[in-house]
Formats: sequence, structure tokens, C-alpha cells
Amino acid sequence: MTGETTRRGFLRTGVGAALATGACRPTLPVERSADLESAPGVDSTSRVRVDTNLNGQPRAFDVAPDDSSLDVVRATGLTGAKHGCGHGACGACTMMLDEVPVVTCLLPATALHGRRVRTVEGLAAGGALHPIQRAFMAEDALQCGYCTPGFVVEAAAFYDRWRAEHGETEPSRDDVAAALAGHLCRCGAYAAIYRAVQRACTGQLDPGEPAARIDARDKVTGQAVYTVDVRLPGMLFAKALHAPWAHARVRRLDWSKALALPGVRGVVDLLGPAKLVRHAGQQILAIAAVDEATALRAVALVEIDVDVLPALLTVETALAPGAAPIYPRGDRADLPNATEGPLLPERWDGNRRGPLELLSKRGDKANRAIEEARSIGVVADGTFHTQVQCHTALEPHAAVAAWDTDKRLTVYLSTQAVHSTAQDLAQRYGLRDDAVRVIAQHVGGGFGAKATLQNEAIIAVELARVCGAPVRYALDRRMELMLGGNRPGSTIEVALATDRAGELVGMRATATSTAGTAVGTVTTILFRIIYPKAPRALSDLDVVTHAPPGKPFRGPGGPPAFFALEQTVDALAHARGEDPLVVRRRWDPNPARRPLYGWAESIPTWRDRGPAGGDSGRYRRGVGVACGAWFAFVEPRSRVQLESTPDGLVASSATQDIGNGVRTTIAQLIAARFGLAITEVFVRIGESNFVHGPMAGGSRTTSSIVGPCEDACDQLQAELVDVASRRWRLRDAEPSRDGVAHAGGVIPWRDIFRIAPKLVVVGHRARDKGGYFLPPIEGAAAERYVSGSLQITQVEVDARLGKVRVLESWLGLGVGRIVSPVLARSQAEGGVIQGIGYALYEERRLDPRAGYLLTAGLEDYRIPGIGDIGPIHVHFDERGYEKVPGHNVGLGELVTLTPAAAIANAIFNATKWRPDALPIRPDRVLEGLRR
Amino acid sequence: MIRFPTDLAQAAGSDGEIRAGATDLAERRRTMAGEGPLVDLRDVAEARNIEVAADGRTRIGALVTIAALAHDEHVSGGYPGLAQAAGGLATPQIRAVGTVGGNLLQHTRCWYYRAPEAECFKKGGAMCSARKGDHLWHACVELGPCASVHASTLGMALLAYDARIDIVGATMRTVADLYGDGSDPTAHNALPPGAVLRGIEIDPPRRGERSVYLRATSRARAEWPLVEVLVRIGVEAGVIAWAKVAVGAVAGVPLRLPQVEAALVGAPAQAEALVAIAALAREGTAPLPMTAYTVDLLEGVVADALERALVADPVGGS
Ligand SMILES: Cc1cc2nc3c(=O)[nH]c(=O)nc-3n(C[C@H](O)[C@H](O)[C@H](O)COP(=O)(O)OP(=O)(O)OC[C@H]3O[C@@H](n4cnc5c(N)ncnc54)[C@H](O)[C@@H]3O)c2cc1C
Ligand code: FES
Ligand code: FES
Repeated sequence: MTGETTRRGFLRTGVGAALATGACRPTLPVERSADLESAPGVDSTSRVRVDTNLNGQPRAFDVAPDDSSLDVVRATGLTGAKHGCGHGACGACTMMLDEVPVVTCLLPATALHGRRVRTVEGLAAGGALHPIQRAFMAEDALQCGYCTPGFVVEAAAFYDRWRAEHGETEPSRDDVAAALAGHLCRCGAYAAIYRAVQRACTGQLDPGEPAARIDARDKVTGQAVYTVDVRLPGMLFAKALHAPWAHARVRRLDWSKALALPGVRGVVDLLGPAKLVRHAGQQILAIAAVDEATALRAVALVEIDVDVLPALLTVETALAPGAAPIYPRGDRADLPNATEGPLLPERWDGNRRGPLELLSKRGDKANRAIEEARSIGVVADGTFHTQVQCHTALEPHAAVAAWDTDKRLTVYLSTQAVHSTAQDLAQRYGLRDDAVRVIAQHVGGGFGAKATLQNEAIIAVELARVCGAPVRYALDRRMELMLGGNRPGSTIEVALATDRAGELVGMRATATSTAGTAVGTVTTILFRIIYPKAPRALSDLDVVTHAPPGKPFRGPGGPPAFFALEQTVDALAHARGEDPLVVRRRWDPNPARRPLYGWAESIPTWRDRGPAGGDSGRYRRGVGVACGAWFAFVEPRSRVQLESTPDGLVASSATQDIGNGVRTTIAQLIAARFGLAITEVFVRIGESNFVHGPMAGGSRTTSSIVGPCEDACDQLQAELVDVASRRWRLRDAEPSRDGVAHAGGVIPWRDIFRIAPKLVVVGHRARDKGGYFLPPIEGAAAERYVSGSLQITQVEVDARLGKVRVLESWLGLGVGRIVSPVLARSQAEGGVIQGIGYALYEERRLDPRAGYLLTAGLEDYRIPGIGDIGPIHVHFDERGYEKVPGHNVGLGELVTLTPAAAIANAIFNATKWRPDALPIRPDRVLEGLRR
Repeated sequence: MIRFPTDLAQAAGSDGEIRAGATDLAERRRTMAGEGPLVDLRDVAEARNIEVAADGRTRIGALVTIAALAHDEHVSGGYPGLAQAAGGLATPQIRAVGTVGGNLLQHTRCWYYRAPEAECFKKGGAMCSARKGDHLWHACVELGPCASVHASTLGMALLAYDARIDIVGATMRTVADLYGDGSDPTAHNALPPGAVLRGIEIDPPRRGERSVYLRATSRARAEWPLVEVLVRIGVEAGVIAWAKVAVGAVAGVPLRLPQVEAALVGAPAQAEALVAIAALAREGTAPLPMTAYTVDLLEGVVADALERALVADPVGGS
């Protein structure tokens, strides 16, 4: 696909890049406006003077009638309030207007006249943080932080109201949910947001309580800079022309009128030599101009003639006899990859790719066992359908590119991989690695969709080059939902058989998935990693269609696989009249999960559950269980550089914090070794030019970074011991938490920093003892472990209105040592919440005939809100993984695998109806209960 | 071009789109309607209050915010269903700036209307894309060629109150007139071009009235209704003496359910009896292939609202 380096999965780093493509690609066709000087953009019809008061200061603005308050305020440099959706659904843009929170994306700037505006930056009166800000910091009520300014402003207004009316009474969860109903958090920080607001209101917060994250203060005060906040001098704004057709051949593309518009600077053609549109929303070209309005008008002036071609939008039409291949033979290289791993060579048949049967084993035996078991009634089978889920991180895909000379490039990029995107850019433009700098100080969520070099970067970079000025390009929410990435939809047929004793004797799974124009979806492989002993016939088919391409989404393949598998296990247990935990425990050899069964059995809600379908009234409660398993990946080349300076310690690594908290993890590991507070370690990440750090993907960050941090600490302490011994002629000197211990006492580390010369060490990660399961492929190694999880969820089904409410969830995780319990809990809660969205609400819908997006905003694409989650309890079993340096594996993906399965099993327990399609919408519930 | 008239008479009759809270208009102008002239009501001083006449009739100015309507003591005391409807729609931030007039006159949220790629009667097209396309959240009552449902919660609620309307630049009497019969697929309402809504008037509160607003959704909060309902009943001597039932999100305009109202009158004020009557809500529905479930929801929310109304606090104490 034009402009997109998506061929490789994101299990890669630079080495692979150099080997993979060799020469620099030809750059894309571009054209520059003849008139590079004319300053103003398209003249607005009229300007309006607005006198307002912004954070206590009188301000006058000259605005256009349709300017939003959000844009006008952000242009002053107050970029705390964020553009999330642009249509009033997410609340990221919330400010107070005369002390009342309002969404400013919809508020005309003219409405500010004569009013007082307060932004998140103006919340801390006289420098003292608002109690709500402190509570968000202390309770870790934020992850990526993109939604945080909006939440904080709203919660502060609620707090002030609540305290005035109710004193220190604790507000109920429902009070909090009602107040914050106009805010969405894609990371799923809601559980902690409840805790923060409730605790703040009761006045229980200790003023000095430390923040869980070192960047929490920046996030609650609106100081954290995201790519969309970057403003460079002379910066231009780019907008793209998006195809409204799902399949078309472009006959003529003429941008001359657009380029002639005053204020327009340049155009880049993204169509590629085939001149084909393969999905709606595809970027055809992009235009840079002095402001967004001008760029948009220019896009509207582009003339395009096309032949609209028949679109294959469903698996059925794509596989129908005679359906034209979307990728004809010879055109199957460089396809967009919907999964984390590299694409394996597979067979094609029209629009069908595969089957992939990689992890099948004794498949014939499995099939035979299933047929035999049928006669004794110990088979369970079913067909399960899962929808397309959009990543829709609250910060859209965005890039700001600036060329220094022709030879040096800086790109601010909302990315999960500063290091590898910089290398890909260097390669693409034939630059030296160190001539490209990719910067991502804060990233407003990614979930897998921001792991590779993609069009937003290419557009900004190409246009910056042709225009000779920095260029910013960001997707709007419609395009984020269309192009930003999605989890492919799957249909999975499952059959499981046991022998009379209840041993699993055969597994069969056949999955057909579609990632639109992308390929590579694999789901059934997960059957093998969770129940590895049984004979199995596992097969995955990929079907390409003219729908926007899928991308790896947190635990690719996992949620659909476990929805199908863990429900079938439940059905089998039910058929056998056995406790579903007992059945799983019998089959489960994984030491990471085994201790979780006992924990689960101790949960009263589980113990006291009723029989399936025991409730027959309108509101029916049920409890379900599901297990999950995930790979353990690590990026062995990860490094952390540690410096001691007279002022303290500085750690750096080319990794990035997408809300997972790696900035804090690094600080915490080092602080613990030197007896410091985490705020005393200065951590520099989010720049590609630091030493190689892990990308945020494949749940690898923590397990990759612990080793290098520990190693760097060992090395630096050894050097400091040396310095101190020589300086003070110490005997028996050795490092300790508090400083250099020696025969005569302890010299604090701080005293040694002060006298030592500047020391720099680079920490490496040791190999796992016993080696890896798979050696590093393009940088990432698969460890010899499979992580384990177990979730219990209680739901209530409203049999009259078809609504499913999640009442409470428990998630147990066996991932080894937990470096930062608070952050790990946040990740886990967020995973459960995203899983609730997947189970009950989220679903991308395209027009069935023309393939354009219908669920194009956050009103129609429904992610969970704060009222939808119920309490979530997270349990860590920290045993195991002794052979891994750091004794842990990742959890970022594991935590999102089980919710749909657990919820579906709970619905079965409540109603005796087994949901076979996601999301479990009211119409499906009503229909299911009628059956 | 933008004008800031200081009263509604000045606002009426001009070409240009009326802008009140802009919570609907701002996004439409950005994504579809373009940058034509605007008439912004920011500086208009009138129509911003809720007034109670000596005889108890209540006038709600078109520029009253939805939040103010929800929190007004007179409204929540005398018209609890209306207050619940106002407090239950959209989000706190939208309610803080969205106005009663804007809510009544907002355009449909149909995803085809809002999709730039789609053809649609309401955008000058010659067909309804939803009908042959994806109409999961569309009408189950056929009034005309457009399959979308009307978005206004307050329009539905005020229909149950037989509210009268006050228009500058046109003569129209009731909220029902404001919407017409839904047969014109190109219209969002029947307000003539250039007319401006000044306010709403409702009869005095009825002592003993019990009312309930409810919506069916999949998420807990801040979600557009799959179906919504407002029920008002009067109970005398254990029998339903009068009933008004309005429903929304089922048709191109908000609807009353006269068959349900008629059956309720004289029925015993008991849950089972009312739930049985709710089944009459299905009469006259004609679902599209994907909207049959909304008929079930319609019956469900009507039943639910009637059950709740039985135990709701009566207006003015019992
Ligand atoms: C996330 C979200 C959820 C929502 N949920 C709901 C819901 O559940 N139920 C619901 O009803 N609404 C809902 N809304 C819509 C919201 O209530 C409306 O956008 C709002 O009420 C419009 O009021 P406004 O003053 O902002 O209108 P504007 O946007 O200013 O105007 C809307 C339309 O009315 C016209 N208009 C406004 N005032 C007058 C007047 N006095 N005379 C003549 N024409 C006028 C304008 O020209 C425009 O066409 C939701 C909105 C969002 C963003
Ligand atoms: S950006 Fe304003 S509500 Fe989402
Ligand atoms: S923390 Fe809320 S969107 Fe990321």
C-alpha cells in the first residue's frame, strides 16, 4: 500500500529493517505551490472581536464565526484541553465557562464574549494543585493522560459542588458516574477515577501523598505535550483527500486549482502507480496550507475522475465464485499486516489466504476423538462471530515533520515505536540513522495501531520537504475510526471433546477472519498455548475485502479466540455437569495460572453462584469464568543508559510511554536501588536517538526494561563504589540501598554523586536462563513461558430491555514479579474495561453496499463509559518465571483477552442462553432469550 | 457573515442559520453544511427564562438551557417527567449549553445524514440510503420515505404535555404542528424558513399526576436512546383516569400512542393490567428488516414506564 510500511509486523527492530528492503524507496510525487510567500490563507468572510477572561486574565481574540473555542484557546499555547472527537461525545476538550464545564469543540469562540473561561492550566489556584488533581495523581486515575485534562476539569467542578452541598460525605459511584458521564477514556482509567473522586470528596487525601507516576503532575495540569500539541514556527497544516468509494480506479487527478489557492503550499500524491482505491477513506493525496481551513478548501478543489468498481465488502462476496481478486498474483507483496508477527508465506486462492495450520498437532486424532466422543455425549461445539473493533485511541494518529537541511529530519510522532519508526524513515529517505529523530514525549494511547511507520508520518515528511516548512498532519475522529486501525472480525467454529474421565482428547477450530485489505489474522494458535496437551486441528483463513485494513490490536487474535474457546469449554463443563473451574484445572499445565484456581474458588460471588438459568424474572444475574494465556515477548537488545551527575541520576532509553507507565517503571527500578524517591530520577525517553529501547507492543516493555535498568544500576554502583573507595580510602566498600557501605559506615549516594566525575553506563538485558522459545526475529524474542490469567465476572441481564450490565469483575494474573503494583493494576483494569466494550458495545459498521464508515464518531462507535464497568478487583500471583531476568513477563495484552468470554459465560449462567455473536447488543439478547 | 441580533424579532426572517447553543449546528457546519451566513442568538436577552403565569401555565423560553430546565424547581415539581427527560438526555456539558429551542429543532442523527459519502433526502438526494443499507438504529414506524428517527427527547416529552409553541414569523399552535406528520422526507421539522422559536407553553401542573421518562440503551449513560418514552397518568379510586403516552426514536417525528392511552383509561391501576396494555404499543409499527427489536423495546419501555408511574410521587402530594 502506498506510503505504508506495514509489511513487517511490529515484532521487529532496526536490524530487520536494514535487511528487509535495502535501497531507499522512491519518494512520492509531490508538487510545490509557485507562491510560497503569500501569507494569509483563505480569507474568512468576517471576523468577530471577542473579549473574554482566560484563566483570570482579560484576553481579546479576533475570531471567525465558525472557530471553536477549543481551537482559539489552544492557539494561545494552552494545549491542556484536547481535541478528542470534535462532536461533544468524549469531553477531552472540556473547559469551564463561568465555572460550568462545557465541551469547547462545539462551543463557538464567539460565545466566549463577556464570559470567564477556565482551563486545566488555570485549575491550580496560586500554584497549589486542586484536590482533584492531587487525587488523580495519588490514585493513578490516568494512563496515557489524553483524556485527563477534561476529566480533571469536570471532576473539580463536581468536587466543588459536592463539598459545598454535602461536606465530606462520600459520593456514591452513581453520583460520580452521573457527573462524569460526558467523558470517555479509551485506556479505561475509570476504576481509578472513581477512587480518586470519591477519596478527594471525603477529604481523606493526605496533601503530601506521592503520585504513582512521575509524569502524573504534567498530565493533570495540562503540561504534558502530545504530538497534536506541537507547534513549530512557520508550521503548515495538512489535510487529505479521502476516497468515498471502496473500490475505484482513478483516471484523472488534477490538483492545479487547489495548488493555486492562496495559502496553499504543496501537494503529495499518495495514490501509487496502480491508481487504485481499495477501501473507503483511503488517502488519495494530501495538501499543506497555512491553516487547516485553507487546506480543507484546497482539498475540495481537487478534481478527480474515477471508474467506480464493484466492492467486495463481506467474506461471502469476496469468496463468491468469480469474485475478482483484490490482490491479483504479483500484487501480494507489501500487504498491510493485521498482526504482531511477521507475515508467513501462505497459499492464496482468489481472496482467500491460508489456511495456516502451524500449531496443529495430531489433527486426525483430534477429529477422530471428536467424532467418537459424540456418541458418549462429551462434545461441545459452536460457531462464534466477532465484530470489527476499532482501536480509536483518544489521541489520533498525528505527525509533525521538520527538515533541518535535506539531510536531517525531525518527526514528532504519536507512536509506540520511536526507535524503529526512525530507522524506517532513515531507510526510506536514504538518511543516516542518526540524522532522523523521532520524538514522542507523551502518546495518547496506541493499543497496537501506532506501531509502524504509517501515512500520517509520510504525509507530514513529504510535504515538509516539498514546502520547505514544518508540516502537521493529524486524523480527525471520523478518519481515526476509518483508518486508524481495527481488530479484524472472525468467525470461529470450535469443537472440543473429552473422554469419559473428562480429559481433553481433541480440539478443533476453524477460523475465518477478515481484516479488510490487510492480512495475517491468526486466532486459533491461542488454543494451543492455553491447552497445549490435547491433539488438535487448528486452522486460520484470511479473507481480504474492500474494507479499511485491520492493524494489530492489543492481544491480536486473542479476544475472538477466547470468546469462542472459553465459551465452548464452559458448555462442555455444563454438559458434563462439572464445575467449569474444575474442568479447566484438570487440563491446565501452566504453572502461571494454576495458583489462580484456588484464588478464584475463594471468591464468594463465584462460590455462591446459582445454576444456569436459575433466575427467571426480569433481572437475571449470573457469574462466568474464563481463562486466558499470552506469549511472553522480550526485546533483548533493549538498553538503558544511566548517568550520575552532581545533581543526581539521569536515565535514558529510546522507548516511549503510551500510558503503560514505562517512564515511571524506569524511575522506580533505579530509585529503589539508590534509595531515592522516584521523582529524584530524571528519566529521558520518547526520543529515537537515545540508546535502543523497546517498542510498546507485544507486552514487552516491562520485561525488556527491567534487566537493563538493573544492569545499569549494578554497573554504576560499582563505579561509584570505586570512586568513593579511592577518594576516602575505604575498606570493604560495597553498594547498598543507602549508599556505599564500608567498614566505617555508609556514605550516602548523593554525597558520592556530588564528588564523582560524570559517569555514564549502559545497561543490557541478560538472556533468559535456558534461552528463548524462539530466538529474536526482527528484534523480539519469544520466551519459554506462557502467561496466565483467570477472570470471574458477574452480570445482570434485563430480560425486558435486553441490556447486560457488568456488576463486578475479578481478574487474576500470573505474570511474575510486579514492579509497580499501582501501574500494573491500572493496566489490568483498563484491559478489562476495553474488553467490556468489545463484549457489549463496540462495533464498526460500514455501509453494506458502498463500504464507507457509518459508526464514524464516538456517539455511534460506542466505547464504554464510566457507568458501564462495575468494581474490578485485580489479583497478582507473583510466583514463577525464575529464569527470566527480572522474574516477570508482560501483562498489557493478557488483561484484555478474557472479558468477552467471561461475560458471555456469565450471561449463560444467568439465562441459559449462550451468546454466539459480539457485541452482545440488546437486540441479540432479546432474540436469544426468545429461543 | 454573522449577525448577533438582540431580540428574536430581528432574528426572524433573515437568511442565515439560527445558532443557539451550537451543540448540533457546530459539527454539522464543520462536516457538512458549510459556512453560510449565521444568525447567532448570543446577545438575545428574551426567551431565557421559565415563567409561571398566575393560572399556573408555564412558559419555557427557547433559549433556556436543558440543564436549567432539568434543575428548575417548578418544572421538577409540576412536570417531573419533563425534568427527568431533560436531565436524562445527552451529557452534563451538552445540557449546560444546549437550549430547549435547539433541542426541538436539531437535525436527525441518522448516520447516513451525517456521512459525507451518503445520499439522503435530507441533503437534497433522491433516496434514503438507510432503507436499503444499515438501519439498525432506525424507524420501526413508517411515516414517509425517510427511515431516520427524530432525535429530540424534549420534543417527545413536550408532545406528552400537549405543549403549545410560540413562533416568531409563523403561526403554529402545538409541538405536534412543529413536527408535522413525518411524511416529508426532506424535512427535520415543519418550521418555515426564517421562523424563530420563542418558547413553549404548558398547561398548569395537574395535581396527582404521576409521570415517568425512560429510555432503552445498551450503555448506562450518555447514549442516544434505542427507544424512549414519557408516560403521564392520573389515578383516581384505583383506576387510571387519564393517560398520555409519547414515544421517541421510533419514527421520523415523536409520536403519541393513542391506542395505549385509550386502553389505559378506566384500567385498574395495577402493574399486570398496565403491562398487558403496553402490548398495544406494537400496533401500527412496521419495522424495517433490522428494526424489529425496537418494537419489543417499545413495548418494554412503555410497560416499564407505566409500572414505574404507578409508584411515582404524585404531583402536589397525594
Ligand atoms: C453526545 C451527545 C448526546 C446527545 N444525546 C441527546 C439525547 O439523548 N436526546 C436529545 O434530544 N438530544 C441529544 N443530544 C443533542 C443535543 O441535545 C442538541 O444538540 C441540543 O439540544 C441542541 O441545542 P442547541 O441550543 O445547542 O442547538 P443548536 O445547535 O444551536 O441548533 C440546533 C438547530 O436548531 C435551530 N435552532 C436553534 N434554536 C432555534 C430557535 N430558537 N428558533 C429556530 N431555530 C432554532 C438551529 O438553526 C439548528 O438547526 C446529544 C448531543 C450529544 C453531543
Ligand atoms: S473533543 Fe469535544 S467532546 Fe470530544
Ligand atoms: S488515560 Fe484516558 S484516554 Fe488514555
